[in-house]
Amino acid sequence: MNNDLRKKIVDLVVSAKEGHIPSTFSIVDIIATLYKHVLKVDPKNPDWEDRDYFVLSKGHGAMALFVVLNKYGFISDDILDSYSKFGSILGGHPDVTKVPGAEASTGSLGHGLSFSIGIALTHKIKKSKNRIFTLIGDGESQEGTVWEAAQVGVNLKLGNLCVIVDNNQSAAQLMPIQNPKKRWEAFGWNVIEIDGHSEKELLEAVDKIDFEAEIPTIIIANTIKGKGVKMIEGHGQWHHKIPNEEEYKILMDELNGKN
Amino acid sequence: MEKINIRKQFANTVLEVGQQDEKLVVLLGDIGHFNMIPFAEACPKRFYNVGICEPTIISMAAGLSKAGLIPVVHTINPFIVERSFEQLKLDFIYQKLSGNIVTVGSLFDYSKLGCTHHCYGDFALLKTLFDVEILFPSSVNEFDLLFKQTYNNNKLTFFRIPEESHDVTFANIEVGKAIKVSEGDDLTIVVTGPQLKNAIQIKDYLAKDGKKIEIIYVHTIRPLDKEVIFDSCSKTKRVLVIEEHGENGGLGEDILKLIYKINDIKFEHACVKNGFIHSYGTYKELLELTELDFESILLKAKELICE
Repeated sequence: MNNDLRKKIVDLVVSAKEGHIPSTFSIVDIIATLYKHVLKVDPKNPDWEDRDYFVLSKGHGAMALFVVLNKYGFISDDILDSYSKFGSILGGHPDVTKVPGAEASTGSLGHGLSFSIGIALTHKIKKSKNRIFTLIGDGESQEGTVWEAAQVGVNLKLGNLCVIVDNNQSAAQLMPIQNPKKRWEAFGWNVIEIDGHSEKELLEAVDKIDFEAEIPTIIIANTIKGKGVKMIEGHGQWHHKIPNEEEYKILMDELNGKN
Repeated sequence: MEKINIRKQFANTVLEVGQQDEKLVVLLGDIGHFNMIPFAEACPKRFYNVGICEPTIISMAAGLSKAGLIPVVHTINPFIVERSFEQLKLDFIYQKLSGNIVTVGSLFDYSKLGCTHHCYGDFALLKTLFDVEILFPSSVNEFDLLFKQTYNNNKLTFFRIPEESHDVTFANIEVGKAIKVSEGDDLTIVVTGPQLKNAIQIKDYLAKDGKKIEIIYVHTIRPLDKEVIFDSCSKTKRVLVIEEHGENGGLGEDILKLIYKINDIKFEHACVKNGFIHSYGTYKELLELTELDFESILLKAKELICE
């Protein structure tokens, strides 16, 4: 659990009066684990030719990316603190033209996976070792382009591509995706299912992937929207809500382990 | 020499450029693959007939650009511009990525296939993207020269290639520079696409009555060569715009914005007037229906001159 990162997210949302706290809490453990243990990246040279790519397709989870980029030296504390303010490079969704370390400008759902396929294809053509990790949402998976890309990724044999689904049951509210594991298997992907809040399970899953194989991988990360604070867990009013003073205290107390 | 169409020239040009530049990658949306066989054989690792999934192809192309390659996407015009518009806007323009979109199916090239395949709104939509080059090369050498000038210039470049050619060969063609085809004082015709052929016939026809028509040929819709058009219109005070595009958002609107301050200027516009074209038939028949045929345009020219 990355409660320090969660607390930073809450502070930023309260300061900027903007942000999707539950959506970021469901993915912050995944992103933190990737940057800590998996991704070959260099904060001093974000465009390093040999880097691995991380594409945040569900762009409304941007703050989870920003706090991790800050932790690993891509963006300064001052930049992070400017989140969503006039003149800042950071807003509610990542802008690749401004944010060091961000690989894609996302926000409209259903773009990031197809975009990642282009990056993965490039490195297949170049025969380079770069790996591409793309985080999509289960709600986002209602977009048709996700399934166009699902077919193309298999057809082009993009083993250097690993998609992670933040399976926080957002889709279940209106159009559930029944048994995502079977569905992705039916599309021909290598499918691994994990607890998306477990660093150990994510690392074991990544270890199992053969990035030189001719099949792309999808990790279905079962997560809890709002994970870390009982009050905001699940689906409802907290999706895009700014905490008031009393709620802020409840959030911080739980993240500080006081409850 | 065997006469080839512009689509074939596209295949030839891409083959030539692709053999010299290893960054060039072709993505097809299941159209034109027979034409592209020579490229596919010469550069097999850089040729992908991806499938019938245009939005994904555009996003993929942006991904190729992101990682350092030069994508060339090819399929039918409205399926790229209309179906994949958000992908063009967000994945290319918002992210400041570059590439080439080469479309077939200009205006009524697929006349018998109906509204789904007709194309007269692309310039209007693409212009809202601001930082995009919009080219309408309508002869084989025009395509060849413009593609070679632009394919690697760090912009998103859009080509609309028509089935019909105007059959005029210009020795010098430069992106963004309109061509003065003829000089005259009585009327300016600003024309884009294969309609140059009609414009020249109208010029020759009116010459019999002693009228001198200045023809400005526009192969680059964006960036538009404003200076040469403005100077000509200021001189003749009468302008007829001919384009195979709808009334809204096409070249005609650009010209109006350019000339509205010229005193006593007279303007006519031969284009697809507002309204969805539900008809079938040949290209020529649909041009007659939309008054883009020689006789209808000539009438507009005569009205302007007689005013």
